[in-house]
Amino acid sequence: MRARPAGGSPRARRLRAPLLVSLWILFAIEALGGLVIFFARLAWGITPGATLHVACGVALTLVYLVYQIRHWLRVQPPRARLDYTLGFVAAGAMIAANGFGLMLGAIWWRAQAHGASAAPIHYPPRLSALHNISSLLVLTFVLAHLGAVLSRDRRAGPNQE
Amino acid sequence: MHIPPFSIFSAISEILVTAGVLYIIRRNWTGRTFSLAIFLAVALFEALVNVLYMAHRSAQAATGAEPIAPGLRLGFALHGMLSLLAYLVFVILGVLAYQDQRSGRFWFKDRPGVTWTFVVVWLISVISGEVIFAVRYLKP
Repeated sequence: MRARPAGGSPRARRLRAPLLVSLWILFAIEALGGLVIFFARLAWGITPGATLHVACGVALTLVYLVYQIRHWLRVQPPRARLDYTLGFVAAGAMIAANGFGLMLGAIWWRAQAHGASAAPIHYPPRLSALHNISSLLVLTFVLAHLGAVLSRDRRAGPNQE
Repeated sequence: MHIPPFSIFSAISEILVTAGVLYIIRRNWTGRTFSLAIFLAVALFEALVNVLYMAHRSAQAATGAEPIAPGLRLGFALHGMLSLLAYLVFVILGVLAYQDQRSGRFWFKDRPGVTWTFVVVWLISVISGEVIFAVRYLKP
């Protein structure tokens, strides 16, 4: 039996890395905030927590870029495996969600810079829809990617990375 | 009232997607494997056609440009949230079931409680969408 390195398996240590923990925290704030905005805007025409959503969205984009580059350098080259496929879909969706989100954030920023009035900000419906659907795909495929990796680890045994 | 053609397409295709979801669960439940291609086709079609269309209609409704009764707006929002949740859970459970069936285990069959809860949530999500379609476009 192989001895476990101090601090647990390499996977466990990577899951506790400050960069990934920061990414998860920002991701959780954005996901919850986004769902609240989606619901409240549709039901009552209000966007609670929009400032926090935009600020954390910018931070999430920056942290994600660093994380994704490091992650890719570690897991490359691509392999024909379900966890890789799900990871690619998640990464594509993340880039789209952040890109469309930053465009919506720019509209929000311009509205604030020109003096916010009582009238709600007009976000182009197509851009909102693309941001919403890509955000849903991020949530879905990031969790599915993580599920596939952890379930693969469990099948492979305790010493698998 | 004019019914957007894509709303009709989406209302019908949602039923076909539901048939796909139930087929995947039934295969797994009866100890037979489902193909990754069918699972991915159902998951991607649902996301890139039906959920995207729902997101677009929600975004249009949120602008307030179309007159929509407050109760129906709340219905849109609840249906939208439930659809997103059901879709997310479907993909995650499908991935877990696909991984498990490769090692001879059948995720849905082994977890009847979770499976039935998911099926009920999925059906509520689909039926609520069809009801909203009927109330919005077919109610005189």
